[in-house]
Amino acid sequence: MLSGIATWISDSQGRELANWLLTNVPGLPPILQTLHLLSIAAIMGSIVMVDLRVLGLAVPSQNLDEMVRRLRAWAWCGVAGVASSGIWFVLARPNRYFANPVFQIKFSLLIPALIVTALFYRQTLREPGYWYRSARRERVAKILALVSLLLWLGVVMAGRWIAYSEYLFWPE
Amino acid sequence: MLNEFWLWLEYLPIAGHIGATWWFPLMESLHVVSITLMLGAILMLDLRVLGLAASGYTVSRMSRELVPWSAAAFVVATLTGTAMFITRASAHVLNPAFQIKMLLILVAGINIAIFHFRIFRTVSHWDISTKAPASARMVAGASLFLWCGAMLAGRWVGHVI
Repeated sequence: MLSGIATWISDSQGRELANWLLTNVPGLPPILQTLHLLSIAAIMGSIVMVDLRVLGLAVPSQNLDEMVRRLRAWAWCGVAGVASSGIWFVLARPNRYFANPVFQIKFSLLIPALIVTALFYRQTLREPGYWYRSARRERVAKILALVSLLLWLGVVMAGRWIAYSEYLFWPE
Repeated sequence: MLNEFWLWLEYLPIAGHIGATWWFPLMESLHVVSITLMLGAILMLDLRVLGLAASGYTVSRMSRELVPWSAAAFVVATLTGTAMFITRASAHVLNPAFQIKMLLILVAGINIAIFHFRIFRTVSHWDISTKAPASARMVAGASLFLWCGAMLAGRWVGHVI
């Protein structure tokens, strides 16, 4: 299925456009990569900070409900930012990415990361103090935060390893 | 003489080992995690000082809770960055993107010192306000600008060599 998507992108106009832009606009690759990094910083300052807060590791004075309400927009803008800055590279060289095992790992981590984050925020906003009504809920919140934290850090690290997949999968 | 020093770094066994193995991507991915975490924490504090976010919390509390995170992330970024630097030290010092990056980090460091040792002293007067003194807002704006610039220059380093 992935190679089907890759072939479909290869034959599309999107690929031509992305290729043209990345080769002809001076400095566009590092600029897009920097926007990608800045969007990751927005995710770190929102999603990851909320996870660290739930785990009791950071910003102890900030209230969880208020944090989620305030940072939700930052989180989803960060996600939109990484998507819109990253997609050009995938469009330009679809086979390089879809056939890359690290790229596959990155997206296998990203999809559950998005789902866990969305569900956690939805539940938090539905009822004030939801996660602190019982010791059991508090434990569940901590587990979800830890899973979310590990998934997001995994996504970021896997992203950087895409260019080095041979170290993992074809050593020497 | 300095040139010999850069070459000496490159010929260290550890530098060769990092450059030739999975250590390099490991350092690079940890560098990305630490710089984005650092910028995320800095962003929250700067936007609070600018009066644009988290107005329900005092500036001093935000600073107390966020600065340790950005400082720790900076230490990790420096260690992982040095590990990558020594693999091609003599080329990096000649790379204009690398030189600009170091300059921006230096200026950002001075900017932080100005904030914490001068401007922050009067924080009790504007701690709860969303309208910090112009000098504080200027430093916060400069901080965002400098760190974003350092990130762009850093990303550019890899496109020059």
